[in-house]
Amino acid sequence: MASREVFWNISYGNLIYLLAIISILIWVWYFYKRLKLWQIGRQENRSKEIWKRIVIFIHTIVTDVLIHRRFLRHPFSGIMHFLIFWGFIILLLASAVDAITYYSNRHIIGTAYLWFSLISDIGGIMVFIGIIMAAYRRYVWKPEGLNTILDDGIVIGSIGIIIVTGYMIEGLRQALTEIKMHPDWAIWSPGGFVFAKIFSELDEISIRFWHKFLWWFHSALTIGLIIYCGVTFSKLQHIIVSLINIFFRNLGPMGAPSPIDIEKTEILGVGNIKDFTWKQILDLDACTNCGRCQDECPAWTTGKPLSPRKLIQDLKSHLIKITKKTLNTEESPPPLIGEGPNESEIWSCTTCGACQEICPLYIEHILKIIDLRRNLVLAQSKMPETAQIMLRNMQQRGHPWAGAQSLRLRGDWTSNLDLKILSEGDKARTLFWVGCTSALCDRNVPITISLTRLLKSVGIDFAVLGDTETCCGDPARRAGYEFQFQIMAEQNIEVFKNHNISEIITICPHCYNILKNEYPLYGGKFKVIHYTQLIYDLMKQGKLKLKNGLKSVFTYHDPCYLGRYNGIYSEPREILLAIPGASLKEMENSKNMSFCCGGGGGHMWIEEYPGTKKINQKRIEDAIKTGADTVVTTCPYCLQMFEESIEQKGLKDSLRVKDLMEIIETITKES
Amino acid sequence: MNIIVCVKQVPDPEIPPSKFKIDPVTKKVIPPPGVPPVISVFDERAMEAACRIKDKHGGKITVISMGTGKVADVIKHSIAMGADEGFVIQDETFENLDSFGTAYVLSKAIQKIGAYDLVLCGRQAADWGAGQVGSILAEILGIPLVTFACDIIVEDKNVKVKRIVRDGYEILESPIPTLITVSSEIGLPRLPAGVRLMLASRKQIPIWKAKDIGIDRSELEKISGHIEITEVFIPTRKTECEMITGNTPAEAGVNLASKIANLI
Amino acid sequence: MNNHKGVFILGEILNGKLAPITIELLGIGRKLANELGEELSLLLIGSNLSDLSKEAIAFGANKVYVNEDPLFDNYNPDVFAQITTKLCQKILPSIILIGHTDIGADLAPRLNARLGGGLSMDCIDLSIDPQNKFLIMTRPIFGGNAYAKVISKTARPQMATIRPKVVPPAQRDSSREGQVIPLDEKIDSSLIKIKMIEKIKEEVEGVKLEEAEVVVSGGHGIGSAQNFEMLKELANILGGAVGATRRACDEGWVPVTLQIGQTGKVVSPKIYIAVALSGAMSHIVGCLGSKYIVAINKDPEANIFNVAHFGIVADYKEVLPALTAKLKELLSK
Repeated sequence: MASREVFWNISYGNLIYLLAIISILIWVWYFYKRLKLWQIGRQENRSKEIWKRIVIFIHTIVTDVLIHRRFLRHPFSGIMHFLIFWGFIILLLASAVDAITYYSNRHIIGTAYLWFSLISDIGGIMVFIGIIMAAYRRYVWKPEGLNTILDDGIVIGSIGIIIVTGYMIEGLRQALTEIKMHPDWAIWSPGGFVFAKIFSELDEISIRFWHKFLWWFHSALTIGLIIYCGVTFSKLQHIIVSLINIFFRNLGPMGAPSPIDIEKTEILGVGNIKDFTWKQILDLDACTNCGRCQDECPAWTTGKPLSPRKLIQDLKSHLIKITKKTLNTEESPPPLIGEGPNESEIWSCTTCGACQEICPLYIEHILKIIDLRRNLVLAQSKMPETAQIMLRNMQQRGHPWAGAQSLRLRGDWTSNLDLKILSEGDKARTLFWVGCTSALCDRNVPITISLTRLLKSVGIDFAVLGDTETCCGDPARRAGYEFQFQIMAEQNIEVFKNHNISEIITICPHCYNILKNEYPLYGGKFKVIHYTQLIYDLMKQGKLKLKNGLKSVFTYHDPCYLGRYNGIYSEPREILLAIPGASLKEMENSKNMSFCCGGGGGHMWIEEYPGTKKINQKRIEDAIKTGADTVVTTCPYCLQMFEESIEQKGLKDSLRVKDLMEIIETITKES
Repeated sequence: MNIIVCVKQVPDPEIPPSKFKIDPVTKKVIPPPGVPPVISVFDERAMEAACRIKDKHGGKITVISMGTGKVADVIKHSIAMGADEGFVIQDETFENLDSFGTAYVLSKAIQKIGAYDLVLCGRQAADWGAGQVGSILAEILGIPLVTFACDIIVEDKNVKVKRIVRDGYEILESPIPTLITVSSEIGLPRLPAGVRLMLASRKQIPIWKAKDIGIDRSELEKISGHIEITEVFIPTRKTECEMITGNTPAEAGVNLASKIANLI
Repeated sequence: MNNHKGVFILGEILNGKLAPITIELLGIGRKLANELGEELSLLLIGSNLSDLSKEAIAFGANKVYVNEDPLFDNYNPDVFAQITTKLCQKILPSIILIGHTDIGADLAPRLNARLGGGLSMDCIDLSIDPQNKFLIMTRPIFGGNAYAKVISKTARPQMATIRPKVVPPAQRDSSREGQVIPLDEKIDSSLIKIKMIEKIKEEVEGVKLEEAEVVVSGGHGIGSAQNFEMLKELANILGGAVGATRRACDEGWVPVTLQIGQTGKVVSPKIYIAVALSGAMSHIVGCLGSKYIVAINKDPEANIFNVAHFGIVADYKEVLPALTAKLKELLSK
């Protein structure tokens, strides 16, 4: 009956369990010390709704950790990690089985053993292939942006040696116990079999010696690796820290900053490392420096100073550097700007969320940047000049557009339209919230007017605020000008409540996002709809008469604040696909990995740092590649950004950009 | 340093020229709907100058504003920039006062505030732009006056003021207390931010009426009311573009040069 | 009110000569005095005033009051205010004219406070009401968006500061005769509080865009950063600043701080020269406050011509060198 003696040729082999326990205890001690480090941050409650959290945790573990969903966007590194991960799971289970059979004295024998051996070996081979891929990627291929440090070499090297010596050990045992006596068993351990063939030439004493030696060497290396991870907090720690980080991941809306309650705190944003919350500091340790966020970042890939990976790593280095000095003192750590991130990095972010969407560890980059901006703006009054102009307009004029109020006043778009404009004392259930860009900018106003026509034609009773509408506050909030946002939010909520508003229809995804997800924290909870949802519902109910076809090849650009931030991907697409004669092509980076237009995070006004090209130009190249004749979008910023890049690249004759509403207008018009 | 700053709330200067409308009967500007009034540009610079002095030397900034409507907003804006407290001066007898009357009312308010080292004003209001209130105020208070300041350096008993003149600057020295009118060359005013912004927005700003600052209606009528506005009109904007030509583009350029030289 | 008679001018001396504004004031002053049938007088404070007095008479003054003292060559507000006030309290003019300069705009309100309250500043036109003989003063308000006509109903003297270069200068006539009256009032030095420490002349290098009287702005048609040098040269000749449209800034041809328009700066210079820019509304909103807009563009349909006062349809590269050279010549005079 096929079997293998556990600890064959090894006396006191069970010592390994004692050593493992000791090494784990050492590891735990160092982990505990690291835990203390996370606690230098501010309080943050991430234990609310604990059952919901547990369910989501399990769901995330299945989809992201076990199935590797986020990893597989880049096949090479995705598969590489998949192999190493699952390979190790198999090996761990195999070792656990060995321990159980050893102590319970019930051994696996026969066919069961052969399958057991095969699966274990495959596990090891998977790890081995993964390690070879990793070594190749880091040291031969060296893709741009991949940051390699000593720790990477130590981890790859150690694991590689552990695996190889493991097969050598198996091969040595097989050379003596299987090759000649039970050759039919040997091939069930393919990894070992390769070495067995070589070692079968040696005499028994040599085989036993080398087996013993390598066995203890292999064990020592593994124990050593565990201790190394603990002491240096190697990136291999992500095995445990990832679980913690995923458990405490953000369950709320993406990128929603917390209010600053001046009655409870004096800290304005993040000035030094201690101003971060414990979870934000935990993020720094969870990061494995993989660079996926960087590869998706629209700023980084167009040559701007910002790399989300570098930001996190710089903060982490800073944390480690000052730990020794400040952990036990009341002293304030040095200011972060200059020690870690610099201002041009902080201001380059468009808050698009691609970094967070791809991060397998659920690290939250956006709020760190917004917190850093808050400190710059609120506490230090430091910001790029273009940001200051915009914020000044927000504060004085109630909207971000400068210059003779863009030749329009807020309420101008309503002239000659038969609309219900709310005055003091009026009540209405549904409000059409227009937003600054859609009311003030020439390119966008016709779209606003089209939507009112549509709403009226399907009998929706709605009101508008006209010239008393002010900004929702999003540009100020994303630029860190938190208090101005708070003042505006409170004022707007009061206006909504005074008019008894319960439902708000929006055109702009930024308004949609902030009204829906962030206003509730200021006392304003309303039902907020984006117009694409409305049109989609009308279509499904058969209320939208698509009169004309449109022979166009569309490609749809998912606005960040509608797609990634709020999960609205399918509605606009289904609407486009329902148009007779139209076809829809997908861009390379679409749906939840859509590439930003460059207008978010205040960047409709804040000037982009010089780089290799402008973000909107890079995105329009994606559109060109699809061969479409029309880019469709559902955000006023995206619309303007693409109009600009189409003009700059001289594409006016081959590519147009249209808002979905313009398309709807065309196809529902009576010809 | 005890600083008093006088600020004025004006209609937003940055509105489309086509929206600018006047009521010829009341001879007043009709504010376009939905456009909030703002702090006068030069007064904001005066506030910035005060904040810079306070940053360096410490002290207290009191801001006052006379006007009709929601004048408290400019006081709050000033507090958010750095003023310690502010007062609105509002009374129906204060409507339609000319520069003299305005300066008189402000002087009474300043009397009520008490001791001061500096009074700062903008060089002129961004709306009517009379450019007199600060100067007349200094004369009423009986303190020295320096105009068109773009930098103020406080020394022990004096201030050194950098003043804009046609071909450069003058440095003038004036004893404290003194009144200084500030010009925009002082630089960009700070963005009201930080906790100040929140605290200012929630503050209740006291309103001083005529009796609170001891103003006698008859006295006011005697002092004010000399200047009468007989007409307000909008000049017809010439949108006819005069095309300058020449036998060659260069010649057209030469012709244009003569035109431009005359305009300067 | 009835005992106030005559038009009085506060004269300014620049580089040892009568300042151009003073000659302009003499022109309008003479006209007003003639309409009223009254005398025109002028005050000069400084040194070497005998030649200047003769000049003033030739330009139309009936009387020239001189206060000769080299100490007063530099403007001191307290001194000038004292001298002028005393004189005006003695001669009781009906109208006082002062130039709207850094001296005049400083001095006039002080006089207003001391003499009684009939001042209007920054006037661009003066006339006499034929019926009641009041001085009608026209001045810009709201950044030039509107004008107000103002009178001093009850206060005398009526006072006005006049913007330079809006009224024509006086015509010289050396046959004119007049009186020179020296003043020898003692200055009360206890009333002099302000001290001049230093005078700094500044080269107009890098005028701030928002404050420039002249802006030369370039758009996408300029084509390169190198070509913007032509605009810089023109701006320097005119003592102005360079601006740009968003597209030109996006191209990196000029720094972003020069951007004018909807997401940039708003300027209201006297002259805005728009070179090779189409005049998109998003840019125009930043410069519509300009008094005069000059457009140079090779596209006759460009929107800029709808808002410009003067225009040339041509390639700017062929226009600018000649324009700059001629302006250099004209302005150096």
